[in-house]
Amino acid sequence: MNASEQRRKVLLQIGSAAVFLAIVAVAVLIVVSSNETSGGDTNLEDVGLVKRELQGIPQSALVLGQSSAKVTLYEFGDPQCPVCKGFSEEIIPTVVESKVRGGEAKIEFKNFIIISQESVPAGAAAIAAGEQGRGWNFIDLFYRNQGPEASGYVTDEFLTEIARGAGVPDIATWNKARESAAILGEVKRTTEEAQQLELTGTPSFAVEGPGTQGIESLGTPGSAEALEEAIEGAA
Amino acid sequence: MKLPTEGTLRMIATFVAAFGIGVATYIAIADSGGGSPVCLAGGSGCQTVADSTYSHLLGVNIAVFGILGYVLLLAAALLRGDTARMAGFGLSLVGFGYSVYLTYLELFKIEAVCQWCVASAVLMTVLIGLNALRMLGYVGKPA
Repeated sequence: MNASEQRRKVLLQIGSAAVFLAIVAVAVLIVVSSNETSGGDTNLEDVGLVKRELQGIPQSALVLGQSSAKVTLYEFGDPQCPVCKGFSEEIIPTVVESKVRGGEAKIEFKNFIIISQESVPAGAAAIAAGEQGRGWNFIDLFYRNQGPEASGYVTDEFLTEIARGAGVPDIATWNKARESAAILGEVKRTTEEAQQLELTGTPSFAVEGPGTQGIESLGTPGSAEALEEAIEGAA
Repeated sequence: MKLPTEGTLRMIATFVAAFGIGVATYIAIADSGGGSPVCLAGGSGCQTVADSTYSHLLGVNIAVFGILGYVLLLAAALLRGDTARMAGFGLSLVGFGYSVYLTYLELFKIEAVCQWCVASAVLMTVLIGLNALRMLGYVGKPA
């Protein structure tokens, strides 16, 4: 083997080693990335769980469920409310599986701001996420990552992180929408609606269907069974 | 099958790398204005990808690294000799590997696909092919 051939052989060996190293490097990057918990680029809790719970259920604005469902369950909640968080984690998922996924009922979330004014941008952000079909993902994820009441945690950064974790596709549009007068007005309007229904705390529920006379207040039922019975009674 | 001449491989690689500079520059400029690249077929994939934390590395838009990579690949395509052949192959290998990783992120982490990123990944795939052929066929031989 002459010197030229020897040199060519060495260079090709270097090239082969580079290919091997590149394959290993990409594999390591992908494995490390896929092992990251939650939303990949967030530090949020339960991103995957929320996604799985709501997967396959239609959403429009802050309504979860098929639009043709005869019964509507209204949840009046404050994003900062810790009791709402408990309902969101322990009671609502049961009702969603038993009554909403099958098309018997739909649930509409309505902002009822009672904790502090920090809840207003959070409620508006949820409505803006709803405009992109991720309203319930946003609300659920917010509750699962809720901080102490009126502690200043509801910052633009926090809301944006929730929106990303909720899978809001167009963050720039969401940012504009959540600060719009129309959406901020909607938060105020639903709060007034709750007051007109003489609701006094969050979460409060109401139901409407063929078996009810308009919207009937349910107060704060203590279990999923109570909500399921109310839906059955309204059907 | 007869291998294309090294001149042909270098010429194609020159055009592809130049095109890559254009794509990466567009992404970087669109991002620097606070916006995002416009998806030609509509949709919000580019916005979602641009808004994700993966779009920046050490605080710098990865498109800037893309520009740098394509410029070096252009230089490797224009130059003769074993150093250029090996550098072209090594650079395109890094670029291709990183494109594979970014495509994985788009599909499985960000869950959005940006056409401009896909375009860059395609260009990197072409470049790794050209540079691999150049290295395998001509390394160790007179320029």
